[in-house]
Amino acid sequence: MSHGNTPSQHNSTIAISPLVANASSQAQSQRQQQSGARHWSGPTSTAQTPHNPVAYSPLVQKIQKNASLATPAPHVDNGSTAGLLASMTKNGLFGPAIPSTLRKVSIGARDIPHSTSKPNGLVTGNHDKDDGNPTAYITAGMPGINIADLPAAEKLRLWRHDALMQHHYRTAEYIGDKVYSMTQDPNDAFWLAQVYYSNGSYIRAVELLSGDNLDSSSVMCRYLTALCLIKLGKYDEALDIVGELNPFRDSPGHLVKNQDGGIKLESSLCYLRGKIYSAQNSFEKAKESLKEAVQVDVKNFEAFDELISNNLLTPNEEWDFLSTLDFSDLDDNEDLIRSLYVTRLSKYLNLEEVNKAHDFLVEEYKLKDNTGVIQSKVDMLFTQCKFTNCLKLCETVLEKDEFNFTILPTYISCLYELGGKNKLFLISHKLAENFPKHATTWFGVGTYYMCINKISEARKYFSKASILDPTFGQAWIGFAHTYAIEGEHEQAVSAYSTASRFFPGTHLPNLFLGMQYLLMDTLSLAEEYFILAYDVCPYDPLLLNEMGVLFFKKNDYLKAKKYLKKAWEAIKRLDSESKSWVSIHTNLAHTYRKLGDNERAVRCFKLVLETAGKDTDTLCALGFVYLRMNRIEKAIDSLHSSLALCPSNQAAQDLLKQALDVNLTTVLDENHPLVVNSRIQEYGVGLTSKKRSSANFDASIIAKRLKQGQDSTDDEGDEMDLE
Amino acid sequence: MDATATIDFLNDVKSKLRRSASDLSKWKLYNSARWSSEAILGMCDITDLSTVNPYMEDDESPLKGRKGIPDPENNRRNSDDLDNMTGKEYDLYLLASTLFDCKEFDRCAYYLTDADHPCLKFLQLYSKYLSWDKKTQENLESTLALGKSRGGEDDGNDIDGKIANNAGLKRCDIDSDTNNKSQKIIDIGNGDTTSISILIKDLNKFLELHDSDTSLGTALLYYLRGILYKSQDINSTAMTSFLKSVTLYPHNWACWWELLNCLARPDESLLLLKLLNEKFGMDQHNSGSTSGQIMLRFFKLSLFQEFSGNIDDFIEELDYLLNIFPNFAFLKTQHALINYHYMDYVNSELIFDQIIKLDPYRLDDLDVYSNILYVMQKSSKLAYLAQFASGVDRYRPESCCIVANYYSAKQEHEKSIMYFRRALTLNKSCTSAWTLMGHEFVELKNSHAAIECYRRAVDINSRDFKAWYGLGQAYEVLDMHLYSLYYFQKACSLKPLDKRMWQALASCYEKIGNSEESIKCYVRALQLSINSDQDTSILYRLALLYEKLKDSENCENYMVKCVEAEQSSDGLVTDETTKARLWLARYQAKHKKFAEAYNYALGVTHGTSQEIEEARSIARECRRRME
Repeated sequence: MSHGNTPSQHNSTIAISPLVANASSQAQSQRQQQSGARHWSGPTSTAQTPHNPVAYSPLVQKIQKNASLATPAPHVDNGSTAGLLASMTKNGLFGPAIPSTLRKVSIGARDIPHSTSKPNGLVTGNHDKDDGNPTAYITAGMPGINIADLPAAEKLRLWRHDALMQHHYRTAEYIGDKVYSMTQDPNDAFWLAQVYYSNGSYIRAVELLSGDNLDSSSVMCRYLTALCLIKLGKYDEALDIVGELNPFRDSPGHLVKNQDGGIKLESSLCYLRGKIYSAQNSFEKAKESLKEAVQVDVKNFEAFDELISNNLLTPNEEWDFLSTLDFSDLDDNEDLIRSLYVTRLSKYLNLEEVNKAHDFLVEEYKLKDNTGVIQSKVDMLFTQCKFTNCLKLCETVLEKDEFNFTILPTYISCLYELGGKNKLFLISHKLAENFPKHATTWFGVGTYYMCINKISEARKYFSKASILDPTFGQAWIGFAHTYAIEGEHEQAVSAYSTASRFFPGTHLPNLFLGMQYLLMDTLSLAEEYFILAYDVCPYDPLLLNEMGVLFFKKNDYLKAKKYLKKAWEAIKRLDSESKSWVSIHTNLAHTYRKLGDNERAVRCFKLVLETAGKDTDTLCALGFVYLRMNRIEKAIDSLHSSLALCPSNQAAQDLLKQALDVNLTTVLDENHPLVVNSRIQEYGVGLTSKKRSSANFDASIIAKRLKQGQDSTDDEGDEMDLE
Repeated sequence: MDATATIDFLNDVKSKLRRSASDLSKWKLYNSARWSSEAILGMCDITDLSTVNPYMEDDESPLKGRKGIPDPENNRRNSDDLDNMTGKEYDLYLLASTLFDCKEFDRCAYYLTDADHPCLKFLQLYSKYLSWDKKTQENLESTLALGKSRGGEDDGNDIDGKIANNAGLKRCDIDSDTNNKSQKIIDIGNGDTTSISILIKDLNKFLELHDSDTSLGTALLYYLRGILYKSQDINSTAMTSFLKSVTLYPHNWACWWELLNCLARPDESLLLLKLLNEKFGMDQHNSGSTSGQIMLRFFKLSLFQEFSGNIDDFIEELDYLLNIFPNFAFLKTQHALINYHYMDYVNSELIFDQIIKLDPYRLDDLDVYSNILYVMQKSSKLAYLAQFASGVDRYRPESCCIVANYYSAKQEHEKSIMYFRRALTLNKSCTSAWTLMGHEFVELKNSHAAIECYRRAVDINSRDFKAWYGLGQAYEVLDMHLYSLYYFQKACSLKPLDKRMWQALASCYEKIGNSEESIKCYVRALQLSINSDQDTSILYRLALLYEKLKDSENCENYMVKCVEAEQSSDGLVTDETTKARLWLARYQAKHKKFAEAYNYALGVTHGTSQEIEEARSIARECRRRME
């Protein structure tokens, strides 16, 4: 066996399963021929039917002996795949009568051996486990071969694989070592390294692979070496192995489709590069590498997840990035995966598209109760600040899967927003018992302490969480918040800026930075940060609100109005009625007040009061506007209620005094409300005719309205028009 | 209207009321149900007529009920409701209903969470609301701790400074705790919060979905919506909700009552009345042919109590209703109340006596009766009433108020205050108790506490002119005339035809030194005075004000009027007339009209010794000059 048999960057590791390589050399050569042919024709041939590549894959070649199973069914129902997996686990792993995984798999596979691409992809996705699986397909593929007929080395290999699959690492190591010594086959070296890796002896794997200079000759070995080095924290060495740039970028096979349904090694290498860069804090490069990883092979979900969940992309970039992806590699799963990916994207824009994808998944694939799909809904609700609904949804997920770490951070945030400290307590305890080494656990604990207002403890646990997982954004922000709450602006600023460096794709750290500077009255710096945040995400109402406030403070009311209106529109689009809704309206009202647009100011203030309940300052401001409009009675009323809520409100006191003075000097003439009122009443009483002629009433009332210039039922037309 | 038509109509009213009584008690609106059933029993007897009436489908004979045979109509009704509900829903209802009765509101709401039947939804939200109410009550520190300042938080940031706080860290949410308190959000620590606005949102969502539904459930939901909005002080929306509910289902008295409570100003009442007249077709003069109109008539009576209006119309309506419901205590009470408002205490007392005879254990509105007895100083009767009421139920706010009145009559103001407090603990929205407690504090010269009480009263019911007036007076005592002026204005706008209000306003203006306005007010008071030419005190004050303005012509004019008032009131001499005479004497003497001056001076026979002395000297001087 020459080194040439290890897979190129276009292939996944399926190809190098030692059994594939050795069991049937005829098939092997056939594969080489064909893959060679595809090398030349690949880029130009466009007329391929989508399932052709699968048919060409070496595994299928072997299966083809089993004629009826040769080509996969055009539409592989998801259900049957699941059934395959289920049958494997059910009948196989736990069946008492079956002695080894080999036998069992071959039995299971005999029934449904064809939809190979799926389980293979799955297996190769998790390199550290289950690498024995290929064996299953081999044996399944060769139902006629009797194990007893195989050469001795093959038998040992099978043994090694089964041991690896059952996590008998010592057996696997022992046997693998012997096989390697016997054959000196690089593939055996690779598998031995695989065993070392699974066993956690990374350094041994590295030594093994580099000792025989395998890593320079085989892409696969190079990948494994780099992976081990990353695990060991030797990022520079790992980078040396994978190279600073993708070496295959310009090679002619760049656009070649993967032939066995696994993940291209080139993509995995790019992913490793991205990981190394992000560990080295060069996020721009990391971002590029990860993007490349997904672009090379959309099946590389690790990279996609890394990009999205670590906020390396801004909302707009996320959507642009998705449109550059090529899903055609996935055949009939194309729509499924695209929709799944869409549901992971930022919920600040293209809500309809997300919803469409969501509905598609639910209707076509019956994924209604799937956690990943629900998670998208959860994220959407959280973005819209609909915490109650979000919480409910989270709980339905957590009922099935109590420690789902994709949902838990949102769940914890929701509980914090809703003040559910009791539940926070419970969940943090459960987490701490079961996952003492997980960042989310300590994030939960920190949040609990923040909820009960024990800031210093909260800070301790937030920092613990971010040490455990430096890419955990919420923990960083929570950590910074603890300083902000205590009014330690300087420290808060530095914490926020660290966060903003770590998470270039999210605007929140910059927004909070701006808020800190706003509080410190450093308006120019605040503006700068807000603009940075605005560049990242111009859709967040909170940010727009803060910008409005900034311009308000700068006395640039027109601009303030502009931004606040934008904020108003954004929050309307998000369809949320949260605390930010109230603050946006309050601020808008104040801006109108400053601009002298009394009517609108009054309307806004009233809306705020109706939605958010009474608030001393809002009432005071409303009183002020009324006073300016010379509606003394209303002014005095609202100032009074303002003072009733907070008797020491100096501004309200002064204004009240002023209003009462004005009230005194108001002349009791025909137009004074009192006089008009008394006249109306007199009229009503004096009306002795038994018929209640409403026409007369009308006249008097209208007359009164006109005179008073006061809207007694100004409630009717209270819809906001903010033009 | 011929006899059969009348009987049909009466039967219709009766069956509607019956139905409402059973429906409303089924859906836990006990007060309305009570009102309806009281009304049925108070109705005139129509059995005699009904025996000859061929159109009567169901036997209304009271014997039937007495025999204990279930009313056939009742059975049908129950099955009606069952038809609307699926079996599952009915089972749910049974559970929820018992939970509600056991006061396990949270559980009740929980079981009904997914209910789609409007009535069940109502029950769910209603129990949620009640649970919220209970918890906020529990959380509130004693509201009755008076004189305590209500917590001074941040002070002295001017109006612009506010916006910054506002904009602060909304996501960090520093003061969520204080926030919760002010917005009265109840949560039990598991993220399941309840606040009025959440309830409203839920309710609105449901109503949007069931827009076209006109069943009882929808009516009840609208009623609840009104209550929720009202508790948020959004009266206009509350009013529309109540109106909607009343149109859908007019036999819910509590809803009418709440509708009334939404009104804040007399002019609104006129508008509302017009609208309701149109809605219930009262314009067409087909006097009362639907049971809905009957309800509207009841409403009009209550409206009149609050805002007054044309007394003749009121009497007409009252007579009409009394014909139909001769034994309905509620109607009689309305009659008594109107007499009380018109300060005809004797008649009012008589009617109350009747009511007590008719329905001896009915405590509603008896606190008004005690007020009457208090004003009439019938302390023995008041003592009896107090004993009696607390014998019936000592933990009813009404009985506490009566006892408080009793102690007040005995000048034991502390005890009186204690009982008012008790009444308020039982029902914190009892306006009259707040106002009366304010009066007690005034008696004790504790203006600040009095102000606090009055303020609470107007917070709950801004139509209580007595409380506004009390506020004005209390501030007057404190020499804060600007405030006092505003409160008198408030009182005056509620009772613009009450001369006392204008007088109070005038004196207030006078004290601040705004003579012109003061004069206007006095003139207005004079116009409203029944015997305007005899109100010497106003006349004298007017004269003085003109003097201050150096308008001697008008001044003289009013002084003369003041003196003339003496003649028209059969020579009743008051301080003012004496002073007026003296002034005129002085004035005429100055203008060398000695004869007149002499006459005036001679007339001064009462007054202080200095005045009489001065009058004598003027008379002497004048006589000397004339000679």
